[in-house]
Amino acid sequence: MASLIKQFVNSICSPVTIFTFGTGFLILFLSFPKQFTSKWVSGPLAILGIGFFLFGLTDPHFRKIVTTPDNVPIVALLFLMAYFTWYAVRKAVRNDERLAQGKAPIEKEESEQKVLVFPYLIFIEFVVALFYAIMLVIWSLALKAPLEDPANPTISPNPSKAPWYFLGLQELLVYFDPWIAGVLVPTLIIVGLCALPYLDRSTKGSGYYSFRQRRVWVTGFLFCFWMLWITLICFGTFLRGPNWNFFGPFEAWNVHKVVPLVNVNLSDYIFIKWLGIGLPKQWFIREAPGFLLLGVFFFVPPLIAAKTFCRKALQEMGAVRYVVAAFLLLMMIAVPAKMYLRWAFNLKYLIAIPEFFFNV
Amino acid sequence: MPQSPDQLYSVHKTTIWFAVASIALVVTLVLIVFQDHNREWKTWQEEFVELERKKLKENLQAMHSKVDEKRLEDLRKELASAQEEFDRNKSEFEKLEADKTGLNVDLVKASARYEDLKQHYDSYKFFLEEHREQGEDEKAAQFERKFKGVESKLKDAKFKKEQIERKIEEIDARIFSFQSVKRRIEKEMNEFRRDEERLERKLKELEPSLIKDMINAPMVDFVAPTLEIQQVVLEDLHEDFHFAKAQRVDRCTTCHLAVDRAGFEDAPQPFRTHPRLDLFLSADSPHPLEKIGCTVCHGGSGQSLSFTWAAHTPQNKEQRKAWERKYDWHELEKWEAKMLPLQHIEASCAKCHGGVVNIPEAPKLNQGRALAQKYGCFGCHLVKGFENRWRVGPDLRNVRSKLDREWIVRWLQNPKAFRPSTQMPQAFHLENTNSEGDRRRSNAAIEGIATYLLKHSNTVSLESPPIPGSPEAGKKFVEETGCLGCHTMGDTSVNDHGPELVYLGSKVQDNWLYSWLKNPKHYSPETRMPNLRLTDEEAAHMTAYLLEDRNEQFDASVIPQVAADDLDGLAMGFLTRKMRQAEAQDQLRQMELEEKFEFVGEKMILQQGCFGCHTIRGFEEAKQIGTELTKEGQKEVERLDFGFVDIDRTRYDWFRQKLKNPRIFDRGKIKDYHEKLRMPHFGFTDEEAEALTTFLLSLRVEEIPLEMRKQLDLREQEIEAGRLLVSKLNCQGCHTLDGVDGRVRSLFSATLRGGSATSFGGEDVGKEPPVLDGEGAKVEEVWLYHFLRDPETIRPWLKYRMPTFDFTEEETNSLVKYFAYLDEQEISFLREKVKTKAATVAAGRELFTQFKCIQCHQGGETQTITASFLAPDLAMAKDRLKPAWVIEWLKDPQVLQTGTMMPTFFPDATTPLPAILGGNAEQQIKAIRDYLWTYRPEEVTEVKGGSS
Repeated sequence: MASLIKQFVNSICSPVTIFTFGTGFLILFLSFPKQFTSKWVSGPLAILGIGFFLFGLTDPHFRKIVTTPDNVPIVALLFLMAYFTWYAVRKAVRNDERLAQGKAPIEKEESEQKVLVFPYLIFIEFVVALFYAIMLVIWSLALKAPLEDPANPTISPNPSKAPWYFLGLQELLVYFDPWIAGVLVPTLIIVGLCALPYLDRSTKGSGYYSFRQRRVWVTGFLFCFWMLWITLICFGTFLRGPNWNFFGPFEAWNVHKVVPLVNVNLSDYIFIKWLGIGLPKQWFIREAPGFLLLGVFFFVPPLIAAKTFCRKALQEMGAVRYVVAAFLLLMMIAVPAKMYLRWAFNLKYLIAIPEFFFNV
Repeated sequence: MPQSPDQLYSVHKTTIWFAVASIALVVTLVLIVFQDHNREWKTWQEEFVELERKKLKENLQAMHSKVDEKRLEDLRKELASAQEEFDRNKSEFEKLEADKTGLNVDLVKASARYEDLKQHYDSYKFFLEEHREQGEDEKAAQFERKFKGVESKLKDAKFKKEQIERKIEEIDARIFSFQSVKRRIEKEMNEFRRDEERLERKLKELEPSLIKDMINAPMVDFVAPTLEIQQVVLEDLHEDFHFAKAQRVDRCTTCHLAVDRAGFEDAPQPFRTHPRLDLFLSADSPHPLEKIGCTVCHGGSGQSLSFTWAAHTPQNKEQRKAWERKYDWHELEKWEAKMLPLQHIEASCAKCHGGVVNIPEAPKLNQGRALAQKYGCFGCHLVKGFENRWRVGPDLRNVRSKLDREWIVRWLQNPKAFRPSTQMPQAFHLENTNSEGDRRRSNAAIEGIATYLLKHSNTVSLESPPIPGSPEAGKKFVEETGCLGCHTMGDTSVNDHGPELVYLGSKVQDNWLYSWLKNPKHYSPETRMPNLRLTDEEAAHMTAYLLEDRNEQFDASVIPQVAADDLDGLAMGFLTRKMRQAEAQDQLRQMELEEKFEFVGEKMILQQGCFGCHTIRGFEEAKQIGTELTKEGQKEVERLDFGFVDIDRTRYDWFRQKLKNPRIFDRGKIKDYHEKLRMPHFGFTDEEAEALTTFLLSLRVEEIPLEMRKQLDLREQEIEAGRLLVSKLNCQGCHTLDGVDGRVRSLFSATLRGGSATSFGGEDVGKEPPVLDGEGAKVEEVWLYHFLRDPETIRPWLKYRMPTFDFTEEETNSLVKYFAYLDEQEISFLREKVKTKAATVAAGRELFTQFKCIQCHQGGETQTITASFLAPDLAMAKDRLKPAWVIEWLKDPQVLQTGTMMPTFFPDATTPLPAILGGNAEQQIKAIRDYLWTYRPEEVTEVKGGSS
């Protein structure tokens, strides 16, 4: 039975299934936030998650991966993230209900009580800081820092992994060129975060938890953080093995695992498979479809949206902010879109110009 | 509903949590200190203290039981009586003491006065000289007066002081005489107890105490702890950290506390004494601890202080399991220089001992090297430092004159089926080529190789035996002329240098064998087989005898038929490597059947690297096919393909497995016939595989500073070159030389040495091939040179023959140097001159006659005594021997050659013939030597006549 479950989990585990199911669950969760945060749903789900983890611990390989001192914080991160998401959404749901009934949010009532920062708050914070320090000490005593033998440049570790917080970006290297995954995406993340307060100037939902009032922003944030950050980090930490191959959680890491690499560029699809005329010699003709596609992706949807369902948003935001927001949103979508293209069509690059190392 | 403020905070609860946190913080602090303080090595050191105390107590007890109690009791009694005596004269003694005290006071006073005056005296002297120089006469005169006054007073003071000193000395002498008896007894008693007291002191030092616990306590243990990390810093050795070189620091002795101390041989690890303190660690050994350390030989991480991080390596699976259980041990992933498992420890010797054929005290490594040479490893694998080795298989350039096609095919199918002892490995029908299809392909390949070899072979002219030989006579000749100095035959296997002499009848024709025996170089110019200068009859008889033996089973074995499809498939496999399928098919269609066979044969020879051992026409320039092994001992384990074989992921496990079954790593893999592993199967025993593994592990390139390596001087290099030649030609197969007993000699003296009689050789030690120890000091280089090029008969009674090796000039010189340098001789190709005087020669002749030298040193043919007493004809002496050697030899033959039958005529430099030359042994010896230098064979009868 246990081995059947393990086999089943291993067999369905792949980047595409996890990403698709994860996204699907997120949508489901945000579509029915009230139901999902109720104890009748969230309770069993929590038990299921913890149960799966405990069950996994019986497997030597799973146990080895999750108990490696490097990886323990990621396990904690996963559970903590789930808890805090649940906590925030539950609060938002309650506030939304109150707002619907015409009441003020809970935070409003609480804020009417006054407590002096010093000594009361500082005292509590100090005690919490003490417990935090104790936790860190015990952790470092129990789990030794994973210092290894002196480095040997002739033996590089396989897999060679980035620090955990960069593993999401490292995962993107599978789908993108280094200049996109390592430069463009991180830059856009920082720029996008900086731009957020200027893009979303609505005072609604400010200072209290609310979902209904900021549905687009919360959904966008949760998708970005959960799917494009946490999930990718978990891929990198737990599921990427030697040679950066993907392994199920109960699958032994075999160094010799070979998976076919049959990715093809868009230009190959168009000029060889469909038109059957061979690749044009000029790179700009050869890559024209790619450029066209990217152009369509970045220009057509905002325009259509501006004319239709985003007409109101455009009016509220003004053209500049609308364009910036649309660009950031499209970039955010572009990342999983490219991943899906790879999974679905083995698409290597939309635009591949080896002449000057420009690949998208 | 407004919430009450209490719901948001509670000072009371926070205070409680604060208290809890504080206590928890203290606990964690204690935990930190404890964990930091609790070190593996401290436990070991504490345990060692216990062990040492136990040992000390045992020693003390042993010493105690050895003490002569009676003598001690006597001494006590003596002491008591001496004390009584002393007490009787106590009043006088006390008076003397009192006098001495008074005099001491006087002495202090007198000394002080003398010192004062001396100060003034020096000062006045300075001013007097200074003023005089400046020409201030008045002042000078003033100081001169003062100076003169002090001078006389100083003299008096000195006299007085010395007088008192003398008196004190007198009193001291009397006091001493009072106490002398008592003192002597006390001293003797102390001597009795001295060793015991030393041990007791030591034991006390080691006793656990509260103070010790305190100075070893955490936070204060930086001052002067009794538990301390021990380390050896090695000035001239470095540790390679890839990015930086650091001085090598070995901390092994932190736990291996008694490794350099005798007396802990039976202690449990890590406290055991090193088993070879004479070779290692001790200060007067060639590898002292302070200079060599531990890790340069053993490997491992010398700086580490924990069992795992020091890179300890288990010897076998059981130990590995035990360590994992006991020490939570695991293999270090990235540290390359892990400790060598003990069974391969000799691999490290080669780090510093380069350029020698055999490394002293490293038998396993030497065996590994010898095996690597014997089985021709260097034929396929390049190993720097072993490039100029010889091919180990027979020359196949004239094979058509020797073998027929059927034999070659049967042989290649399975060489051991013909001759189980053969060195030829099996290359076909092995584990990874054992499927029906592969067997058929291999059969085609074998047929191809035979075709190629026969086609690309010349013929040499062969002579047939002139007379029909008699096997019985042949057997005698084979056993008696020297074949067994290299070959194994029947039950006698003292040598396995050449192929075993079996089943030759199934292999070769009489004309080939006859011609070969007469002159091996005729058929194969590069063969190592020497020429025994056989007569036609001898060769004919031996041929007849050797051809009698046939391997019927081998002769009857079926030669597999090769199907055209298999041949084509194999050929296509080779062709498609270089061309496209269609082109290959075209080419194949154009080939005749014979051509196809020749083609696959050539390709297969190239694939299997047959030319690594055999000289084959067409492959003169072919490259070695195997991996270069120069750095095999430090190859990353990741680069060794373990396939699906379940063995430990270590170099030596891989090596051993590869040697035992070279094709095993193909197991479970899907591979094309041409891609499969191709190392042939040698059938090594476990012992051989272990020795070879040790050799492979020794193949490392490491930067050991020159001054730390064993460096050979020019002479030693020449000796090593000679040793290589000696091993190549198997000189020690017959001769005792360079510390190795001539292997064939055991056959002769089997009965004398308690073994069973053999059918040949008899039981006469005198028929053994001569001992060559000391040969360099014995014979003239020029004689040796000519002898090696063209051996002459020295001992006509020997049936064993020194063969003609057809040495090159270079080889001959190398051997001459080897013999000379081995005995620390200077090389000179001029004979040393001996100036003779008629008188001494006459005396020498007289001695020669008296000692009956001629009785054993018989010239001519008549031999009337057994061979053990026979000795070389002395007519050769002046050409052959070094004059100085003859002198030494006559003085005491047993010193130069233990067990020689040569009598000692001059024991302890005395002579039994006092009448001659005034009975001076030295002059007599010289006279005999001088006589020998004028001795002519014609004199034999005269001298003989004199002696009878």
